[in-house]
Amino acid sequence: MNELLNKLSNCIEFGKINKAAPFPPQMKGEDGADEITRQALDEGVNAQDVLTEGLMPGMERVGVKFRENKVFVPQVLMSAKAMSTAMVHLKPYFDSGAAKQKGTFIIGTVLGDLHDIGKNLVAMMVEGNGYKVIDLGTDVDTEKYLNALNENPGAVVGLSALLTTTMANMERITKEIKAAAPNTLVAVGGAPVNEEFSKKIGADNYSSDPQAIVEFLNTKTA
Amino acid sequence: MKRIFSLCLTNTAKMNIERSFTFEELEIDPKEIIATLGYTEDSFFEPFPTYLAQAFECCKQLNDIKGAYRILKMDEFCSDKKKICVQDLQFNVGRTIRKELNGAENIAFFVCTAGAEISQLADKLLKGEDPVLGYVYDVIGSAIAEAVGDKIQATISLSEQKAGRKITNRYSPGYCHWNVTDQHKLFSLFGGTACGVKLTPSSLMHPVKSISGLIGIGENVEFNDYQCNLCQLENCVYRDKH
Ligand code: B12
Ligand code: SF4
Repeated sequence: MNELLNKLSNCIEFGKINKAAPFPPQMKGEDGADEITRQALDEGVNAQDVLTEGLMPGMERVGVKFRENKVFVPQVLMSAKAMSTAMVHLKPYFDSGAAKQKGTFIIGTVLGDLHDIGKNLVAMMVEGNGYKVIDLGTDVDTEKYLNALNENPGAVVGLSALLTTTMANMERITKEIKAAAPNTLVAVGGAPVNEEFSKKIGADNYSSDPQAIVEFLNTKTA
Repeated sequence: MKRIFSLCLTNTAKMNIERSFTFEELEIDPKEIIATLGYTEDSFFEPFPTYLAQAFECCKQLNDIKGAYRILKMDEFCSDKKKICVQDLQFNVGRTIRKELNGAENIAFFVCTAGAEISQLADKLLKGEDPVLGYVYDVIGSAIAEAVGDKIQATISLSEQKAGRKITNRYSPGYCHWNVTDQHKLFSLFGGTACGVKLTPSSLMHPVKSISGLIGIGENVEFNDYQCNLCQLENCVYRDKH
């Protein structure tokens, strides 16, 4: 594998944003995701390879470590920042079609709920694993999900809820999405949500952590 | 710190005691924040310590940290194994909490908040410029809300002790099988809003970094640790805490 892409994976895994960033201490003074992505593209590395062989493996490792409690939210946020810095360089290639994401994931915290850290982490991790992510924010009702689905046919929808009261909205929204767009896959998550509830409301997946939803999405797009 | 208790005697919420707190007087232990972030002092490497120090310094400027409580008589006759009655309201606290309230004569209802400022600050940073710093504020915001809860609990304990009464631990709607929808009843005791905290129709408190709940008071009540051995909520903030 290209040495640069290997380095890029490490930058994502350890959250090295750019040369100036002091984090992580063991990579101080070295080039970060920003410089290496630019360099790889300038050297003619295929943009698709930068995504799939550089950025994605790094993010996948972060997801696994987060699930295993080997890294925590602050480090995931660092990795996500490194990722988004690199993605800026790739944007023109996505726009032109020279590089493609694996699919689209629409995510939002359901109506009545304003919690968003968990949802944001999921969004970052899914994006870092090669998906286009449309984040609808918090307090989202069915119509907004459906509008986003109209613009992105075939997208998977993710719903987040942190209160038992808003889980009721999660149920209604899931049913309304399924009624309007029967083939849409709906994934649910959030602290009080569980597998049993997910099944009961007719959702297609419950994931307790970001890596699990990535794995679910990968089975649907592979 | 010269902060004086203010008795807010409004039409809707009589004898509602509300108090402001400074960040310093809450004496939040940085170690607690480090642990919530996922680290120990030894594994807490840069830039996180700098972020934490910066956030602690900024939090000194917060001036909307508040706690309020109201003590009401518990209606022994209407209360049963799963619920308690106060004024004309029934709180479906569930078996676990109800047991802890055995012997209570009065109930203190409380609302505590870290205020809107820290929630907004965390939110802004999380969405933009610096998500890591935003997350540090987010975690400190939660710790502030809980620390105000500790202070309010200590205040009630002290004043009740003088009258020869004891207090129970504190319990919140949404924990230990007490349905979070009872928040509406709890807030109605404060005339719909307390310490600037409002409730949404879905029972969410706004600002987000807020907590609510009750404490039992009586000569014969006991202060017990949470009985968590049967509960599946592994990450509960109150798990095995007193
Ligand atoms: C910290 C905390 C607080 C803090 C801060 C709250 C805040 N909103 O900022 C404080 C102390 C203020 C607080 C207050 C309350 N809390 Co609270 N709190 C928590 C706690 C311990 C952690 C929440 C958190 O920040 N997690 C970190 C983030 C990163 O995790 P996350 O959001 O769960 O997201 C992860 C996964 O769930 C998943 N995920 C999330 N969304 C999605 C979506 C999809 C599609 C997928 C695939 C995955 C996914 O991936 C994320 C990353 O791993 C949880 C319990 C817990 N361990 O989760 C209770 C919890 C959320 N709180 C709860 C309750 C009840 C309350 C109160 C109502 C209590 C009260 N009466 O005072 C209040 C309500 C506050 C309000 N504004 O209304 C309940 C809610 C359930 C319920 N019964 O309704 C919980 C679940 C605890 C419990 N008893 O079960 N709380
Ligand atoms: S872990 Fe303990 S305190 Fe938390 S909800 Fe369960 S029983 Fe209550």
